[in-house]
Amino acid sequence: MLFALCVCLPLALQGQETLHYAGALQVGKYKGEAGYDYKVVGQDTLLNGPFIMERSNLEALLENEDSSFLFSGTFKDNFPEGFWRFQFGEFQSNSETQVIDYQYRVLISGTQEETSGTLKMGKPDGPWTYTVQQIKDSEVEKTLFKSSIVFEDGIPQRSFRVENENSTLVGRFLRNGLAHDEWSLYATDEVEAVESWFFNNGLLQKIQNRDDNGTKVVQLSIDSTKRKKTINLDTRFLSVLQLQLPANDTLNIFESGMPKLLAENTLYYQKIDDILSELGESAFLPEFKVEVAYFPLDSEEIMQLDSIKVHFEKSKIISESLLDNTQLNILKLSDEEALFLYSVVNSISEKFLGPIKKVVDYHEQDILEFVTRDQLIGKLWPLGKPSKEIEVTDIKLPKSFVLPNAEQFEFDGNTLTSIRQLAQYAAYSLDSVQQLLNDKLTQDQRQQELIALEEELIAQSKGLNSLIDSIGNNVPGIDKDALLQIKALAETSLSTYSAMEEVASKFSYAGELVDCYTQLNLLTKVIAELPAQWEEIQQNYQDGVWNPFTATVMNEEVKRRITAAYSRVLVPYFLNWAQSDLSCDNVDELVVLMQNTYQRMNELRNEDTSKLERKLRKEQDPKMVMQLFNIQNQVKEN
Amino acid sequence: MKHHCKNPFWVLILFLICSALPLSAQEEGQEVLPLESKFKEPVTKVWFNTYGNIRISKRLFWVAQTHFRLQETESTPFVGQMAQIYNRHAIGYIYSKKFNVSLGGVLRLNFNTDEDSMDRNLVPEWRIWHQYLFAMPLSSVMTYHRIRIEHRWSQGFEENSEYIFRNRWRYMFRLKVPLNSNKLEPRTFYVAPEAELIMQSGKEVVASPMEDLRLTTTLGYIVTPRLTFAAGLMYSHGQELSNGGIYKQSWTMRFHMYFSPDFRKVKNKLPEIHFTD
Repeated sequence: MLFALCVCLPLALQGQETLHYAGALQVGKYKGEAGYDYKVVGQDTLLNGPFIMERSNLEALLENEDSSFLFSGTFKDNFPEGFWRFQFGEFQSNSETQVIDYQYRVLISGTQEETSGTLKMGKPDGPWTYTVQQIKDSEVEKTLFKSSIVFEDGIPQRSFRVENENSTLVGRFLRNGLAHDEWSLYATDEVEAVESWFFNNGLLQKIQNRDDNGTKVVQLSIDSTKRKKTINLDTRFLSVLQLQLPANDTLNIFESGMPKLLAENTLYYQKIDDILSELGESAFLPEFKVEVAYFPLDSEEIMQLDSIKVHFEKSKIISESLLDNTQLNILKLSDEEALFLYSVVNSISEKFLGPIKKVVDYHEQDILEFVTRDQLIGKLWPLGKPSKEIEVTDIKLPKSFVLPNAEQFEFDGNTLTSIRQLAQYAAYSLDSVQQLLNDKLTQDQRQQELIALEEELIAQSKGLNSLIDSIGNNVPGIDKDALLQIKALAETSLSTYSAMEEVASKFSYAGELVDCYTQLNLLTKVIAELPAQWEEIQQNYQDGVWNPFTATVMNEEVKRRITAAYSRVLVPYFLNWAQSDLSCDNVDELVVLMQNTYQRMNELRNEDTSKLERKLRKEQDPKMVMQLFNIQNQVKEN
Repeated sequence: MKHHCKNPFWVLILFLICSALPLSAQEEGQEVLPLESKFKEPVTKVWFNTYGNIRISKRLFWVAQTHFRLQETESTPFVGQMAQIYNRHAIGYIYSKKFNVSLGGVLRLNFNTDEDSMDRNLVPEWRIWHQYLFAMPLSSVMTYHRIRIEHRWSQGFEENSEYIFRNRWRYMFRLKVPLNSNKLEPRTFYVAPEAELIMQSGKEVVASPMEDLRLTTTLGYIVTPRLTFAAGLMYSHGQELSNGGIYKQSWTMRFHMYFSPDFRKVKNKLPEIHFTD
């Protein structure tokens, strides 16, 4: 920029305030080299004078393809003014060059868009033509699009012509830009117009459509006494038009035909407007104007619409969450009631929410004020408004859903109030269905959990039995009576469980049983370990003693009162407990006692136990022994 | 020697040697050696021996033995009457599990078992003794070589008889074979055959260097590492001091109690088995 300033300094001096820029510039998505004059007024830079911006890259063209463009024209006080030309090219080359007249020439193929015309204060003025051509070997092959419109101060005047490969639209405007008379669309290969719109002072009165089946005429009812409003002929107008057409009309003009061609034209004009607006100030979009009947929304109606929106959004959340709920989708396959409620939601979603969504959308697009409420409701519910009684027939016993306070809702009347009532009814109904389903889903979930618990119980029971059998057969010296008792307790508990009927108590009992089985499993293992542990304790409670008479080291049993108390008092006590007093309530206590006893036996070996051994003398009470051993009957808190 | 083969009851040899030798030790006068060796009729004896081995430190122990030895007489044919009471003490040193030595003294009280004798009924005998015991495991069996050397001062029962001095040279080989276990451990029976040769020397020893050959077998039971009981039968014979041509013989029933208390505190005991620490 500094460089540019330096270069341009002499020029700037000549033109007093006018400066020149030459260098790189980006406008929107276009990057290229630009040269322009400008002046600085206060903080603002105002374009003033000739402007040119272009880009073309020979290297890219030869290699693959090149996107070129050229914008040239003049600005006056930041407004495009005078003749302007825009070119856009997408070209490939065949990479063959010729030298003709001391020039290298490369033939190119692709598309070129070009438009030119005069602007006045940023608005098109005079004839403008927009052409899109297909180029092959540097020659025009065919015209893809062409629009010719005459403007006066930005307002389209007189007749215009827009054509593409397939069709041509011809129409005319009044001096104020309102569409007037017949607008006709011709197919390229036909003489007669295939589609004609008849305007009178901007008011669309009739649409005539001709296809293979003949000509169809749609008369639009015009009440000349009603208020009118001038709007642009754009998508909004088309939406209004759609609402105004009789409910049973099957005209298919909105996807193709005249609206499509107009939309295409708008797209090209938009492209130019984007560029000019970024550079300076402009209003390049052609304003094709039409008149439409106007039915303004009063404050009451606006409130209704706000309320409709609130109810709709709430309903939408509920219905979507229910319809997409995986659990419900599975449950409905097996549960008739769930299927019914699901169908109710589905029905509400279709019959209430679908049309109501349109109302909300129309409101957001400012369309509602151009249709009568009768027309609107007739379009939304062509078969009449849905009933409060939502019937579901595709289930075994057809039945219907109705809100208990349904009589408080009033669907009659073609007013926004009635739509609000519908929206409210839908919201309340969904709310109620959701509650019913939630209860059901929770219950179903509990049922599922119970099934899972039962499966676990059975697996545990099997595991316990096979563990007991395998231990009983494989561990020598095991107390089989205790094992049998464990087995018996497990079986009794399971039959108690299966005899229960109430789900809630079953549920909690199953939970307890799972714990109990876990403990019984542990107890079995602990009992199975007893013989091995006793061996280990005996090994452990030995000391090497030097016997001078044999000159060998001999193991001597030490702390015999402790080992004796263990093997003659404690272990029999535990086994007796397992055989006669075992229950799900105390099995965990027994397991902990046995585990802690074994642990204490390991610890006592290395403790000073002379006092303990004295006290143990003749002690036969297992509880006293455990107390002396300092055995905890609770799991240590970690 | 047929006795040796037929009756291999070996008695555990205690630290003192009681033999028939003292009976003839003080015989005066010169005897003529017979043309053939002459074996006297065997006498029967019963020994009650206690062996104490009291640990006093990591490597030292106190040997305390008391033996009661009875010998048959005409009026008490089999069990006999008290012949000797031994009071033997020593301090032992454990060099390793396989070797230990002891040094100490003995006071032996000799009772006159000759019912016809008018001499003194009781005379003392003094000894200094030292012993070298080698122990070696061989599979589950333990083998022992014991060398014991004694310096003894003994006298006869006659009034004012002089002490005579002799040295004894003893070698014993012994096995201990566990019977109901694969090693010597508590609650184990074991059988212990042994053979001991006792040679002697001294001014008075002219033609009878072989004082005694003892062949014993005992059956023992290890109650705890600190207490063992054993009983056995011993056959022995040896030259009479007064006449090397005459051999005395004996059959001895031996009853032994071995005890080895350890009064040290627990913490001092702990490295007990690690002698080389």
